[in-house]
Amino acid sequence: MNVEYRDVLVSAKDVSLSLGGVPVLREVNLEVRDLVRPGRVTGQVVGLLGPSGIGKTQLFRLLAGLSTPDRGQVTLTKAARPVRAGDVGVVAQDFPLFEHRTVLGNLVVAGRQAGLSTAEAKARALALLARLSLGHRANAWPKALSGGQRQRVAIAQQVLCSEHVLLMDEPFSGLDPNAVDEVCALITELASQDELNTIIVVTHDLAAAAAVCDHLWLLGTVDGQPGATVVATWDLVERGVAFAPDVRSTPQYRDLVAEVRARFMRG
Amino acid sequence: MSAASLRAAFTPNRVVSRSTVAVLVGAQAALLALLWVKSPLEAVPGPLAVVGALRELWFEQGLGPALAVSLSTSLEALVLATVLSLGLAYASVVPAFRPLAGVVSRGRFLGLSGLTFVFMLSLGGGQPLRLALLVFGLTVFLTTSLVAEVAAIPRARFDHARTLRMREWRVVWEVVVLGTADRALEVVRQNAAIGWTLLTTVEGLTRAEGGVGTLLLDQNKHLHLAEVFALQAVILAVGLGQDAALGWLRRAVCPWVGDSKGRGSS
Repeated sequence: MNVEYRDVLVSAKDVSLSLGGVPVLREVNLEVRDLVRPGRVTGQVVGLLGPSGIGKTQLFRLLAGLSTPDRGQVTLTKAARPVRAGDVGVVAQDFPLFEHRTVLGNLVVAGRQAGLSTAEAKARALALLARLSLGHRANAWPKALSGGQRQRVAIAQQVLCSEHVLLMDEPFSGLDPNAVDEVCALITELASQDELNTIIVVTHDLAAAAAVCDHLWLLGTVDGQPGATVVATWDLVERGVAFAPDVRSTPQYRDLVAEVRARFMRG
Repeated sequence: MSAASLRAAFTPNRVVSRSTVAVLVGAQAALLALLWVKSPLEAVPGPLAVVGALRELWFEQGLGPALAVSLSTSLEALVLATVLSLGLAYASVVPAFRPLAGVVSRGRFLGLSGLTFVFMLSLGGGQPLRLALLVFGLTVFLTTSLVAEVAAIPRARFDHARTLRMREWRVVWEVVVLGTADRALEVVRQNAAIGWTLLTTVEGLTRAEGGVGTLLLDQNKHLHLAEVFALQAVILAVGLGQDAALGWLRRAVCPWVGDSKGRGSS
């Protein structure tokens, strides 16, 4: 496939973190580059994989600017400084929303935080809800939403407030296969809205990640050393898996999932 | 009620229908009434004696004005204590103010009687003394519960607000003040009942202003058991009414709590 990699959009350089004196992350290095496909708007979707308890959530917090590493730094090239909370959109695993605001109220407050006027924020919020097939739930309270609806509202809220980078923590967790496909389609749609859109998916669902991402990173430990680091990466464009229609039925996809699973099991 | 419903009513962790609940409540109320009517204990006055005592209290002994005094004192104290406690609980997110909330919360171990002298010297007695004692008694319990509510907010909620580029004071407003409003009002509703248990004590300390508590202590002193029962019934009824009113207020102020259809306005 004819693709070109341009500027670095997100980078983590030599990121290390200890909690209570215990090393959790050790010299993590990551880079997301602007992936360009001629004639198409193509954002980036990267999967961060790793077994439970390896330190994915801590890395997620560092990438979101919610924590500061002990050493190294996470940088958004556009901001040209270490990432801070609010620089990137974050959709946490339980899809948090303000329970005291309606769906529309949740989105309007996010739009206002992004500097829009109330009228602009409301117009953009309603347009986004319509695109996510949630226009009829604009005046609902969050507690009345189904899990899938809540996830989409949480994504919409972050999309309204953030610029191009969106972090998603375990977006496939607890979903049935149809719902997983719907979330994959939503991620692809969000990514393809702007060339610079970058979605980083933290998950342990290898199959879903392989179906939606263009790159995969695997967190693990090396030779029993304390602290997790990136132990393997896969370029899914190179493997002919990324952007392939009906990807799950292709042999390349099945081979890739088997390979990632084998590496995952080795830790 | 069918045999299946009856069996369900005596099986642990079963949900029963509203009609079954109504039957169960009715049956238990009837049993209680029967026990009351047939009670061989002389210390328990019969229903007719209590009704008669209630009539006399209302028409001869000024129960109406006494109730008005107690109600206004109770509500005024509740409002003041709520404002104070909410302020202390919200301030507890600032490390410098956290010890203050902790000190006030520990005040719940202090008996009101032991504080009367200090408050009397400061306020001179009368209605201000009653109010101050009641506010103190309510505040120490309300603060304890409200600080616990604030402390129980998961870190993820603060993080969520921060990811929306909110500054820390805005995070406090959105997550702590607005985000816990429904639970704060529930805490106030639950603790408001303490006000009525304290009221009788407080009104006993300064009797000149009257009130249901003063009336109750007078009847107790003269062993007028029917009157005591009647006054307790009045206090129970007023307390239940206050509880229902606060529940309604909570649903009105925080509509996201009670709308089962999940609709509201932005």
